[in-house]
Amino acid sequence: MKIWVVILAALLFSGCSTSVKRVDSDTTIDLSGAWNDSDSRLVAQEMIQDALSRPWSTDFTTRTGRRPAVIVGTVRNLSHEHINLKTFVADMERELVNSGRVDFVASKDERGEIRDERLDQDLNARDDTRNAAGQELGADFMLTGQINTIIDAEGKQQVRFYQVDLTLISMADNRKVWLGQKKIKKLIKNPSIRY
Amino acid sequence: MYLLRFLATPMVVLCLLYLQGCTSWQINQLSAELPTLGPEKTLGKLEKIDPPDRDRSQYLLNRGLLKFYTGDLAGSRQDLEQAKTIMKSLKAVSLSENFGALTTNETLRSYGGTPSEQVLVHAMLAMGYLFSGDLDGARVEMLQADVTMSQLGDTESVSGQLASVRFLAGLIYEMNGELDDAMISYRRAYQIIRAREEKVPEALATSLLNVSLRRNNENLNDEEYQRYVSEFGREASLPGAHEGEWIVFYHDGVVSNKTETRLSVFDSNLEAQISVVMPHYPQSRYQARQLSIGAGDLKRTEVIEMIEQRAREDLADQSAKTMAAATVRAVTKYQMVRKARESGELGGFLANIAGLISEQADVRSWNMLPSSIQVARLVTPLDASVGIVAKNVELPALNKLGSRHYGVALVTSLNNRLLSYPPYEGLEPIEGQPNEQ
Repeated sequence: MKIWVVILAALLFSGCSTSVKRVDSDTTIDLSGAWNDSDSRLVAQEMIQDALSRPWSTDFTTRTGRRPAVIVGTVRNLSHEHINLKTFVADMERELVNSGRVDFVASKDERGEIRDERLDQDLNARDDTRNAAGQELGADFMLTGQINTIIDAEGKQQVRFYQVDLTLISMADNRKVWLGQKKIKKLIKNPSIRY
Repeated sequence: MYLLRFLATPMVVLCLLYLQGCTSWQINQLSAELPTLGPEKTLGKLEKIDPPDRDRSQYLLNRGLLKFYTGDLAGSRQDLEQAKTIMKSLKAVSLSENFGALTTNETLRSYGGTPSEQVLVHAMLAMGYLFSGDLDGARVEMLQADVTMSQLGDTESVSGQLASVRFLAGLIYEMNGELDDAMISYRRAYQIIRAREEKVPEALATSLLNVSLRRNNENLNDEEYQRYVSEFGREASLPGAHEGEWIVFYHDGVVSNKTETRLSVFDSNLEAQISVVMPHYPQSRYQARQLSIGAGDLKRTEVIEMIEQRAREDLADQSAKTMAAATVRAVTKYQMVRKARESGELGGFLANIAGLISEQADVRSWNMLPSSIQVARLVTPLDASVGIVAKNVELPALNKLGSRHYGVALVTSLNNRLLSYPPYEGLEPIEGQPNEQ
């Protein structure tokens, strides 16, 4: 009898304790159905792979003899969710840089800090380690985009449709050299009953 | 003696429940004191309260709103987001809470907010994002508000449909250059106000006229535009090349608290009068006070949402359901007392006391919301500041804010702090007592 009481108590208390389980960062875990790290990573990977498989980068390299330099412009969140675009943009940058086929230049937000540091170097760094102003690599292409959603909800069910559109624009002549699109559709069923 | 021992545990549980009911009483008390104490002091007192889990969303809604009024926009967003998530999770029916509500009282249910509150949380969050300079974040909240209102609304009723939120959505789309979406939202705001037979505020009329004209390349013969011209008796007032617009929201007063009222109902099965406790709003004596704004020609804010009224409508919509549950509960308790009496007078007496103590109406609400939301829309030269008369303070010139078209400001009757979009660091609260009019 006593053993059953102990087992029952253990079962009851196990429901009250916090549990932590480490999982691989590439594991897909969907809890609420909202945009999550897996969506961000997978969309970035697929879209950049698509971008790199198109002729714009090889065309540019053939024409100029060097790798194209890309800058990330504005990626807007026009969806129904507060999406951390910084992780999405970082995922894209990582994919592009790691491909070894493009150079990336610092974005508008990042440049200020780097220029401040260069000014500081001008005053305080040794001559042989100083980085001069006016030597920045200008971007050849700008990547812009937006995330849109369409939500259809009825009762406890919801269909969420995400569409990510990215555009690569030539800085020299405003030509759109690549248009990428990725769609995700999720059916979310919320519980009707809880304890 | 055996009976006393038997009843001791339920009595202790009931006393604990009664004490926990104190949280909602404390919050109601603070909400009543808010107009005189102001948001800063009220927030300090509210933070000393540790609510039970089932009151968490109500607590977070109020704390988030007070943080918003005190200028802690990041803290406010965090609380309101958390409250929104809790309210969403409570849409599933809880077996244990239903059992508790049917046997003890309604306060044992977790607080999920009224339809208006479920929509207003998006509006307050949108304003939080907007005054932090995040227009896209505000837009996200407006899209979510649209989904919430679509789920709450049906063709027959305007329950959970808020003109103020549609207006705010329209404004956010308009500032984003999405004139078609702006028009849809302004139109919905107008339809809701008409369905409620309320007065269309000047700011909404101006928005309808301006956007219906602009989205059709300023074609004066546009049918919809002409319809609004004949209804409002004036043309659109588009700002000139060196002009912009201020849209000022004014939160006036604090919404009433619910109280409880005891009703006597005849139960034909029992053939006896049973007593039920119901939540109730006392008659409102609130009179909206307008805010005068402008330089030279003064404009007055006008009510776009009477929250006092929405709160009463939400309660009325729920009353049949609440009454049915209260009656079932009262009958159960009546039968328990009768059974206890059969085993002795003392048992009957104690069971009766237990029934009385445990019977509480659910008087929880987002009770630090304003009594009314008012709005004004005015055209000003880009280099002119705009006075807010009652606050003895000026909104900076739009070109100082780095805006070429729009400025949005929030003023509340509760303190002298102003919030603006684009955010402007010079908007420090001015000295003075709260509610100085």
